[in-house]
Amino acid sequence: MPTTRLLLTGATTPIGVALLRALLGDPSIEHVLAVGREPAASLGLPLGERLSYERVDLRRSRARRRLLFGPARERGVTAILHTALHRRAQDSGRRIHELNVEATRELLHLAERHPTIDRFIFRSSAAVYRIVADKPSVIDEEHPLNLGPRAPQWIRDRVEADLTVCTLMGLSRLKILVLRCAECLAPDAGSQLFDYLQAPVCLRPLGFDPMLNLLSLGDAIRSLRLALACECEGIFNIPGADTLPLSRLIALAGRRQVPLPEPLLAPLYRLRTATLGSDFRYDLNSWRFHFSGVLDGRRAAAALGYRPTMRLGWPLGGGSPDGLE
Amino acid sequence: MAIVTRPSLAARIAARARAALPLGWHEQVESLRYEDAGHGFDALGLHPDTVAFGAQALRFFYERYFRVRSSGAENIPGDGPAILASNHSGALPFDGAMIYLDVLRKSRPARVLRPVLDLFVPGLPFVSTFFARIGAIGGSRGTVRYALEQGELLLIFPEGTEGIGKNFSQRYQLQRWRVGHVELAIRYGAPVVPVAVIGAEEQWPQIARLDGVHIFGIPYLPLLLTPLPLPVRYHILYGEPIDFRGRLTPEDADDPEKVASAAAEVKAAVAELVSQGLAEREGIFR
Repeated sequence: MPTTRLLLTGATTPIGVALLRALLGDPSIEHVLAVGREPAASLGLPLGERLSYERVDLRRSRARRRLLFGPARERGVTAILHTALHRRAQDSGRRIHELNVEATRELLHLAERHPTIDRFIFRSSAAVYRIVADKPSVIDEEHPLNLGPRAPQWIRDRVEADLTVCTLMGLSRLKILVLRCAECLAPDAGSQLFDYLQAPVCLRPLGFDPMLNLLSLGDAIRSLRLALACECEGIFNIPGADTLPLSRLIALAGRRQVPLPEPLLAPLYRLRTATLGSDFRYDLNSWRFHFSGVLDGRRAAAALGYRPTMRLGWPLGGGSPDGLE
Repeated sequence: MAIVTRPSLAARIAARARAALPLGWHEQVESLRYEDAGHGFDALGLHPDTVAFGAQALRFFYERYFRVRSSGAENIPGDGPAILASNHSGALPFDGAMIYLDVLRKSRPARVLRPVLDLFVPGLPFVSTFFARIGAIGGSRGTVRYALEQGELLLIFPEGTEGIGKNFSQRYQLQRWRVGHVELAIRYGAPVVPVAVIGAEEQWPQIARLDGVHIFGIPYLPLLLTPLPLPVRYHILYGEPIDFRGRLTPEDADDPEKVASAAAEVKAAVAELVSQGLAEREGIFR
């Protein structure tokens, strides 16, 4: 049965708000319990019979339990759509890990023994995949994950959260879906490339021009809605409709590009962050600026009926979210 | 709001090269089929303007320097997945470039060949980008599988770097013949077209190799007799396609004995074509 009553974490993020708007426009959705850390006003949507909001700090175990066995049970929620991950790449530490990994782990285990919840959908990201020269440039769901010991916490947390959910797949009574979404090039969506493109001059490694795949907000929302409507479980790549080289992306964003020898890039970007402030971290996954990584979405097409259709709107972040109703 | 961006210098050069191609080449490039992933590139990075640029840049070698002659191009399947398996030699992969151009020039309908590169090549600056734009793909199993599933025409050198790195004294002796190409052919129902390249094995005599040098991941540094390749004449022979579909099932791709036997069959077909080509040619430069 398609989900009609759900709990949405990360509701105050741009993706969360856009998804809420889309869900409220769908008469088959009876109720959405939106969850975020910010005040309810930040949603910008009227609360009522079909939408309620809980201000919850998901880093706190007690708060998570209260949420699921309080408001979620009262409202007869049948699915959790978990999209809350810390977005700022410059932050790290135990509290960040608590939100990214421990909250995911506990929400999953609490959902298992919850009286009404039977579905858990986790919005993961393509950042979990390892991109190196000798691995496929078209990435399917069996592609190696970035488990390198030197990977920064931003990556490690995402991989751990993803694996935590995947591990329970098929062993739990819950129907579990993991959506590994391509990078959603939108402001405040945790997109490193979006932050990269905010600089008037974009530096890139000399001699490399990798293919990238990018997801529009509209397609991101559509994929989540299709996941809610689907009876299946599994891991699915969610590619976007824009597959293009890095140089073309920079040109489309109207930025100047300067190819430089690779060893200069990380120090220059660190200097930029220290002096001008930026959330972009070149060292977060520098190989993606060398080697192609395009998501293979054939499994999602077959099982979810998802095919990317909505291209990114230019300029980025300007006007209304692309492709949204 | 739409933004109009000025094409990059590389894009402008590639577009000009496309427009300036001689008629026969131009028609072939114009009729190439590829799956545009949205911005004029396919998911693997192929860009038709750069294919035209590559043809324009290397046409001199194909038409004038190596004066390529070929026979049997009608054996190249017109559509669907297929694998060309060839002998390999020459210190630098001119043999791959000449087969690539020959397929571009003579395949009907026009097809773009996807040379499968050794795993270290995607790590080479500039080279990796150019190769990707003209259609070459990294040799990882996943990428090759994807290309076959998309119905692409692949070029594989089963000898690998042992072939291109063979010394002059080993010319036309097929080196250790790997089996990956037939494993893929069996699994994905792709016919294998045996190919022999005559001439490349004499183009750049290698007298020794430095195995300890691994700049950018290259497996060795060749020591060559001449500063430039010799203007030998290339003869490319395409054999009858070997189709395993009637004899083997996709599950047989997991059977090492059947795979080895199929690889030996392809190797024998290439060796026979090599012998035929050597017997038919009138001299290294003719």
